[in-house]
Amino acid sequence: MEDRKILLSEDEMPRQWYNILADIKMNPPLGPDGKPVTPDALAPVFPMNLIEQEVSTERWIDIPEEVLGILKIWRPSPLVRALSLEKALGTPAKIYFKNESVSPPGSHKPNTAVPQAYYNKEFGIKRMTTETGAGQWGSALSFACSQFGLECKVYMVRVSFDQKPYRKSMMAAWGGKCVASPSTETKAGREALERDPNTPGSLGIAISEAIEAAVSDSSGKTRYSLGSVLNHVMLHQTIIGLEAKKQLAKVGDYPDIVIGCAGGGSNFAGIAFPFVLDKINGKAIEIYPVEPAGCPTMTKAPFVYDHGDTARYTPLLPMHSLGHAFVPPPFHAGGLRYHGMAPTVSQLVVEGLIEPKAVTQLDAYAAGVLLARTEGIIPAPETTHALACVVAEAKKAKEEGKEKVILFNWSGHGLLDLMAYDKYFANELTNFALDDREIAAAEKVFEHFPKPAILKSR
Amino acid sequence: MEQNHDHLERRCPRLGGLIPFGYCRKHGGDGLPCGKLLDCWWEYFDIQAYVDDVYPEEVIDKIFAAKPKPKITSLIDLIEAARKRTETS
Repeated sequence: MEDRKILLSEDEMPRQWYNILADIKMNPPLGPDGKPVTPDALAPVFPMNLIEQEVSTERWIDIPEEVLGILKIWRPSPLVRALSLEKALGTPAKIYFKNESVSPPGSHKPNTAVPQAYYNKEFGIKRMTTETGAGQWGSALSFACSQFGLECKVYMVRVSFDQKPYRKSMMAAWGGKCVASPSTETKAGREALERDPNTPGSLGIAISEAIEAAVSDSSGKTRYSLGSVLNHVMLHQTIIGLEAKKQLAKVGDYPDIVIGCAGGGSNFAGIAFPFVLDKINGKAIEIYPVEPAGCPTMTKAPFVYDHGDTARYTPLLPMHSLGHAFVPPPFHAGGLRYHGMAPTVSQLVVEGLIEPKAVTQLDAYAAGVLLARTEGIIPAPETTHALACVVAEAKKAKEEGKEKVILFNWSGHGLLDLMAYDKYFANELTNFALDDREIAAAEKVFEHFPKPAILKSR
Repeated sequence: MEQNHDHLERRCPRLGGLIPFGYCRKHGGDGLPCGKLLDCWWEYFDIQAYVDDVYPEEVIDKIFAAKPKPKITSLIDLIEAARKRTETS
């Protein structure tokens, strides 16, 4: 019988993080004055030792022993061979995942929360503040602060605070104080409440509150913390991919494809960046960040000859199209649409080292349910995007008869996100659906265009 | 048109939980819609037509066509705003 889990001993844990800034060129972020941001500008919210990491171009950065000591609570995380999923799909592909749901808060987030708490403590900070949406990050930082004896204050957007009361309980168990944002504790919060006492809050207000709490502490002992996007966050997460490399080497495998869901980019960076380094050094490997689909499913659109551009300059091509006049949702730099995407991830897209994939929410939940019923873990909703891509690639491997090795990051469990599954089971989540009137309107665009023949190879 | 869609829900990629459309159309900051309105809601109805119908051109330009600021730049803006708020209180 084949082993499911490939484990590392604690002694085998990586002792250094991989810093991708050593291997790619990035434009420096500009301040409001249009000049590159200096480290001092960030000093009110981050300790200088973390700012140094943020701008460092050293390829390998030592993981402090104190950080390793805490990470060992759940790390090294298991690399799991998804044998049941492979069997269910009948695929020749070998599918492996890093199970990051085994951390105390249930996600990959503490991989950076722990070092951030450590560096703040080292810098003499007593209190950390942050904002949280659904509570994953707030939980992770509360856990990390408890390990280093720091106070933790979390501003949770009220709409999520009311939806997910157990997140507050989780944070409280670790000594974190979670308040609904807007709160009466900051001027930003009070102003928002004055404008609308019943406001459900927003991430923007919660960030403003967390930053104000750090900036306005006259003792200088409070700092702010961010759980995604920034370079030092990506750096800390690379322990995921570095462990995975060692684990795969133990069974003599190396991935053909690496997959991670991409929201802010941190769990994707964690699994992918160490393999990007290999790709830079000549390895043949496909690396896919996966995001929610932002353009209508083409199978719902008529198959016609159409121009590929709104200006009608391109030749007519047979395609599933909603018409050259259809304005799709906006796509941003490099193909990754999320405004909050990590600049390093976006840069890798621009350089062609990684290739974004998009999946619809129904495909994502369907994959989530399939994985829950095969591998047993109920995935976090954001993780399901990666899973949908994994399923698609495994099916493709079956069609091609190729024994590909697929590695993905199981970034967290969804045990506090079950309402979303209920909505999925109740068919209350939908994909793009044009009604008959809208389809007729879309097809009218093509009434004078030639129609392609429907050809089938077999 | 606004009321027709307010009850619809989907997972918000920023907040991480299920959020109704009624939230997205007015809680992107300063009472404006969220900048991800088009990205998120196309799966449910013709959000482009909705946006064109409901929001004035300057809002569309400000929210949907604007190039997002790098996170570091927006953090520095927030630090400055926090300083100004607390200095005047």
